[in-house]
Amino acid sequence: MTFVCALVELSQVCFPSHPIRPHRPNTGNLPVRLGVVVYRLCTKPLKKLLPPLVMLASLSATLHAQTVDDAIMIPKKTLFTGALYSHDTWNQYWEGPLERTNGNLGTVKTQSVSWTGNYGITDRLDVLVTVPYVWTHASQGVLHSMHGFQDFALGAKYNFLDRPFTEAGRIRAFAVVAGGIPMTGYTPDFQPLSIGLGAKRIAARGTLNFQSNRGWFLTGSTAYTWRDNVTLNRNSYFTEGQLFLTNQVQMPNVFDYVVSGGWFRRGLMLQGLFFQQRTQGGGDIRRQDMPFISNMMNLSRVSGMVMYPIPGPLHNLAYQFTYGYVVDGRNVGQSTTITTGFDYTVHFAKRGQKQ
Amino acid sequence: MSVPRRLVRSVLSVFCTLAVMLMSVTCNKQVTPAPPLPVFTPENDDANAGTWKMIVLSGPTQIAVPAPAAVTDPAYVAELTSIKSQQAAITSDQKNMIADWSGSGVLRWNEILRGLVAQSDLPPEPNPDGTYPVPSAANPFAFPQFPFGNPPYAARAYSYVAVAQYEALKAAWYYKYQYNRLSPSKNSSSIQSLMPTTNLPSYPSEDAAVSAVTSTLLQLLFPTAVDQITQQAAQQQLVVQLAGKASASDVAAGVALGQAVAAVFVARAGSDGMKNATGTTAQWQAIASAVAAKGEIPWISQEIPPRPPQLPFFGNVKAWMMTPADIVNERPGPPPSTSSPQMAQELAIVKQTVANLTSDQLAIAQKWQDGVSTTTPPGHWNTVAVPYISAAKFSEVRAARALALLDMALHDAAVACWDTKYTYYNPRPEQLDPSIKTVIGLPNFPSYTSGHSTFSAAAADVLSYLFPAGASDFASMRDEAATSRLYGGIHYNIDNETGKAHGKRVGDYTVRFAQSDGAGQ
Repeated sequence: MTFVCALVELSQVCFPSHPIRPHRPNTGNLPVRLGVVVYRLCTKPLKKLLPPLVMLASLSATLHAQTVDDAIMIPKKTLFTGALYSHDTWNQYWEGPLERTNGNLGTVKTQSVSWTGNYGITDRLDVLVTVPYVWTHASQGVLHSMHGFQDFALGAKYNFLDRPFTEAGRIRAFAVVAGGIPMTGYTPDFQPLSIGLGAKRIAARGTLNFQSNRGWFLTGSTAYTWRDNVTLNRNSYFTEGQLFLTNQVQMPNVFDYVVSGGWFRRGLMLQGLFFQQRTQGGGDIRRQDMPFISNMMNLSRVSGMVMYPIPGPLHNLAYQFTYGYVVDGRNVGQSTTITTGFDYTVHFAKRGQKQ
Repeated sequence: MSVPRRLVRSVLSVFCTLAVMLMSVTCNKQVTPAPPLPVFTPENDDANAGTWKMIVLSGPTQIAVPAPAAVTDPAYVAELTSIKSQQAAITSDQKNMIADWSGSGVLRWNEILRGLVAQSDLPPEPNPDGTYPVPSAANPFAFPQFPFGNPPYAARAYSYVAVAQYEALKAAWYYKYQYNRLSPSKNSSSIQSLMPTTNLPSYPSEDAAVSAVTSTLLQLLFPTAVDQITQQAAQQQLVVQLAGKASASDVAAGVALGQAVAAVFVARAGSDGMKNATGTTAQWQAIASAVAAKGEIPWISQEIPPRPPQLPFFGNVKAWMMTPADIVNERPGPPPSTSSPQMAQELAIVKQTVANLTSDQLAIAQKWQDGVSTTTPPGHWNTVAVPYISAAKFSEVRAARALALLDMALHDAAVACWDTKYTYYNPRPEQLDPSIKTVIGLPNFPSYTSGHSTFSAAAADVLSYLFPAGASDFASMRDEAATSRLYGGIHYNIDNETGKAHGKRVGDYTVRFAQSDGAGQ
């Protein structure tokens, strides 16, 4: 149970790329067939890289292990699964650098329910899956709500380093490969009410964590996400000052990092996070224009999170709650996000076995 | 306590491996804005194009083009020498420029124009007090920039450019065959032909005429893009000389001709009624009151705050092939009463369709969306037409004719449709039933009849005349475009069906002209 934060972060951090609505469980990752996806993403240059990528994918686990202790990784033969509900709203957004409201949108609300699963293949290698269902709604105007399964996300996290660091605690490092792929043919071309951006993506992440013996921890994690082109239903579009006579949209890649710190012990976690996403290209929303999928979507968000192991007979159950607020952005909504849900740990290994 | 060295090394090595591995994953995903226009050599020079019927000019000699110097004249010989030396020092940038302009200048300008329309197709943002600023032609760079390239504005712009190019080219053709001066690459064996060249006489240069007439009109229609427009015009004039297609005096004569033709069109544009197409608040209220007096529900903007109706008096703008009386005579009858069972039925169909929209239907709605930041419906049909023109290997003058015919019909469709919309001022489905939502942007003007249907039927009509082999494709595109508005949740079926029939009648005016303009099919 202690791995909850990894799941939360999966939805919040690992797959950046939210348009005007920053917190969308964005997920989608490629399944174990990461290799296949990667292959499709970029055929030629990847061929040589496939073997190591596949190896890494099937090797590692964790998306964001910024937590602590043994708790960060899911132990071998253990499943950590959860159901999370997320509620994200904004009534102001940044049109390029200009913050504004829009009477034709009012308040845009995005809700999602996600199932997450994190399984320990070994004590050092976890595989993580997320399946989100998303609803969008605008409180004003004539634009239709959208809903549906968004992107399947799969990640592999490998804890390649774990050792004492000074006398006060331990230091660990993780390598993560994660990918996302739309599960349905939902339209990405109806921003800000589309349920996602419709882009296949793959991310590489590195995470460094220090956990004190007394419970304090500090974690830094950073990722770079490559995104595949998106195909629209229309044969032309205008962005970045140019008319494109094609249905293919080149999606800029995304860099993000998160720094978090707090207290984590015996399954109870309190932490604060600061997250930044920087899209490596893309245009601004023009004045009074609709947002476009390849816009430069940048944001900075502060969050607070609590995870609390529920006492009693269901000792494998934990409750989690996260509150996040976007403090600054570009071409995204200034959203407030609440994520809440339960996580349950299932041990498949025999008792007495190493946990 | 010091950090163990092995620890540092292992961390670094893992991260470096990862970084190197992923940085080299440079996906091959580059998207180019537009594929290059196909390069072709015209199959026929259309030597008689100087006799084809004019539309605005009185005839090809309305603008005089003086006789060129003889090819033995030292000044002309010096021009050839200059081309030779420029070709000897040609750069790869210049070669790329030549390639850009080798697929017909008229078609390339059409592509540039579509970009300008998409760029300007943005409604102004409301003021804090809920009113809306109006773009000003007198101060185009101020926010909101002039123009707002909405569908009627765009239809008019496409047509002005296309018709002016066409008239300039017919005049150029007339003088070309009067003076019969060959191109530099034909006059001098040491000058290479770097663009498709035929035996078409080169004085005055058709490319120069097109560059001048187009850049003058575009600067009027899209003043904020002046830098891009003048740069492209200069490039086209440079390129035809570099390519051995025209000499400096060919180009100068073409530019003079193009500018003179443009002046005629600038004057027409100043008095075609566009300046009064916006109207005043009192005039809008008068339309609404007249409709209410008949017991009908008048249209109300569904934007928040409510936006003034889009160009309510565009129906009074001068058409190309139709007189004001034709516009009135072809106007469809009224829509079903807003209180009638038939209207309730139409409304129910919209609601049911949007509520049960399939992904295929959504794709069709999006394909023909043509809302803000797009080339608009008239631009969409220009995009449809261009590959047919390239494939037919039309001469420059015939390519211009095809676009002129198409864009005249589209402009007349805009005039006729806007006349209809603001005669009946019929509410959109979302106004009669606020539970109906749209999957594309809701246009800010009355519902009946559908602009997209009218445009598409007029365009399909003209294109089917020009390219009979494509007729069934044009018909299915027309029907798809019309139905897309139902799928989008923004039109009733009756808007689409009536609009299609209306658009066909409007298109026929242009087709009848084309049948007797002396150009053959």
